[in-house]
Amino acid sequence: MYIYDQFDHAITKERVAEFSQQVSRRLTGELSEEQFRPLRLMNGLYLQLHAYMLRVAIPYGTLSSKQLHKLADIAKKYDRDYAHFTTRQNIQYNWIKLDQVPDLLAELASVEMHANQTSGNCIRNVTADQFAGVAGDEIEDPRIISEVIRQWSTFHPEFSFLPRKFKIAVTGAPKDRAAIQYHDIGIHIVKNDAGETGYAIYVGGGMGRTPVVAPLIKPFVARADLLSYLEACLRVYNLHGRRDNIYKARIKILVRDLGPAEYARQVEEMWPMTRAAGVDVPAGEVARIAAFFAPPAYDKILEPVAAFTAAKAKYSAFARWVQTNVHPHKVPGYGAVTISLKPIGGIPGDASSAQMHAIADMADTYSLGEVRVTHVQNLVLPNVKQADLFAVWQRLGEIGFAEGNVGLITDIIACPGLDYCSLANARSIPIAQRLSQKFADLDRQHNIGPLQIKISGCINACGHHHAGHIGILGVDKAGVELYQLTLGGAGDETASIGQLLGPGFTSEDIVGAVDKLVNTYLDLREKPSETFLEAYRRVGPAPFKESLYGRR
Amino acid sequence: MAQAKPQNKILTANRLRNGETVYYTAAGEWSPYVSEARIATTAEDADALAKIGAAAYAANTVIDVAVIDVNPGAGAKPSHIREVIRATGPTVRVDLNKSVAPPQR
Ligand code: HEM
Ligand code: SF4
Repeated sequence: MYIYDQFDHAITKERVAEFSQQVSRRLTGELSEEQFRPLRLMNGLYLQLHAYMLRVAIPYGTLSSKQLHKLADIAKKYDRDYAHFTTRQNIQYNWIKLDQVPDLLAELASVEMHANQTSGNCIRNVTADQFAGVAGDEIEDPRIISEVIRQWSTFHPEFSFLPRKFKIAVTGAPKDRAAIQYHDIGIHIVKNDAGETGYAIYVGGGMGRTPVVAPLIKPFVARADLLSYLEACLRVYNLHGRRDNIYKARIKILVRDLGPAEYARQVEEMWPMTRAAGVDVPAGEVARIAAFFAPPAYDKILEPVAAFTAAKAKYSAFARWVQTNVHPHKVPGYGAVTISLKPIGGIPGDASSAQMHAIADMADTYSLGEVRVTHVQNLVLPNVKQADLFAVWQRLGEIGFAEGNVGLITDIIACPGLDYCSLANARSIPIAQRLSQKFADLDRQHNIGPLQIKISGCINACGHHHAGHIGILGVDKAGVELYQLTLGGAGDETASIGQLLGPGFTSEDIVGAVDKLVNTYLDLREKPSETFLEAYRRVGPAPFKESLYGRR
Repeated sequence: MAQAKPQNKILTANRLRNGETVYYTAAGEWSPYVSEARIATTAEDADALAKIGAAAYAANTVIDVAVIDVNPGAGAKPSHIREVIRATGPTVRVDLNKSVAPPQR
């Protein structure tokens, strides 16, 4: 993985020192809350309902075992022994004390981690496909340009005070595992007709109160030109960006208002200037960065692996877990394991410090010391020998994370909601827990097949409900939590926005309503291989509406 | 909702130093326990609480100051679900919840 250079070290240290000073000045009253608030937000520190919350960046979702151990230590020492992995491939601590933040940040910096670019109106932590570097279908490791972008955007003077926050995601395979079209800029690594690798650029996607699937702005940008093109995209935005209206200041609104073609034209016009400014990274520097992501030393293994085949034959529960939770690896004899942080009835994305330590140990023993965070709030051991999968599964069972439900109906995304979040209208987590219990039966889950439920506690859509095959949005109706259902959203390469079905349901009724939707699907699908999303796209909302609200 | 009496209110905030949810008490202190909150039963009382809150904010003792509704009757019970959750903790981690009243000594 990427090792910080001197410059990064210096900058991170400086930033910790600077923020520590600001915290001291706040505690003595030298800084008012009005003055301090933007500073703390720039450093990933929010105030939630019960305490401060700190969001720590995990650039493109890649962690070393050493870093995960440190994150676990911090959970124990500064929080209440647990933390929350988020859809932004970050980790959040929920019970942080302001006066301990400087010490905490210093500990983070000791493993090259920080909370920069996790909030504020800057270019946020870049997110990427969690199977970067190991997926069989990959064109190029997305972490290389993610790191190039990270270096370019970190503390970029022109882009530290954008009209609004700005999110970039990169995916390296035809299959989009990073929801790129729901980002301000989505980068899809592609090959052109000449067989060269380059980047398709989508601009102006987002969730929130105005969900937009980003249009394709440029089908191919050559590797050498990427940063000048991105800088041109941002500069056009920065020139137009509406700072007067917080809801309108996102680039998605600009691209929509100008029209994608006109926006693209203005970017083309700007491009020669950013090119001339020399922001593009020389090939040698890209190669230097790429070297950090060079494949580790894999063993040469012949498939099939006898021990693995035998274990699957002997233990059907293990075989099933492999089916959902092990992704094909580009190297024969290996697999990429998704650790579901969605035990039945559990809190999606939460892990205790003991669980984090155990996973970090497993990464050392079985996965060449590496861990990934997925935007579905799961973790990945990217490099596990097939011969070790059975041991990994057993160990996961001991720590309560052996649920074989990845991609199934109980692999639910839920934002913190009203249990933690000061902006929430309704609770998200208890709905996820009850749905998980309702659909706990694994036979039924497999029968239902791929189905993504995503839950947000307010319209900010941190739980990606717009992109859920079934989306659930919490609203507040005269002090009562109500839940609206949307159907047909998707966050992959077929991205679409879920459509609202009708009036909301109470907390008591929402689980039954989802059950009805699922049964409706099971009744109308043409064959078991037709997924929920495919069936919905074929028949539209009518039968689902009818199952919930009757004929109108 | 037709209410015979004016809405009862209390003053709440988060402590600057550690973010803890706190309530302003009759003794003039900030307590983590909602049941200790001083209840304003008149509009004038509520205004007085708001002023105290603004002063404590200016003095950098607390942040996120708010005067919130509580149900009628003794013992401050927040009306809105958000404030009920704020008073005790996440409903999904009852093991971490705090009591509405101080532990008996
Ligand atoms: C609890 C503290 C949190 C606060 C106060 C918060 C606040 C917000 C706000 C205000 C927005 C809307 C921004 C906009 O539309 O411009 C937003 C969007 C978002 N947040 Fe959060 N959030 C929180 C937690 C989380 C968590 C835990 C996750 C991941 C699970 C997350 C992921 C996202 C995502 C993916 C978006 C959508 C970005 C977009 O609009 O395109 N947030 N958040
Ligand atoms: S969606 Fe709303 S409730 Fe959920 S974490 Fe985001 S801001 Fe909070």
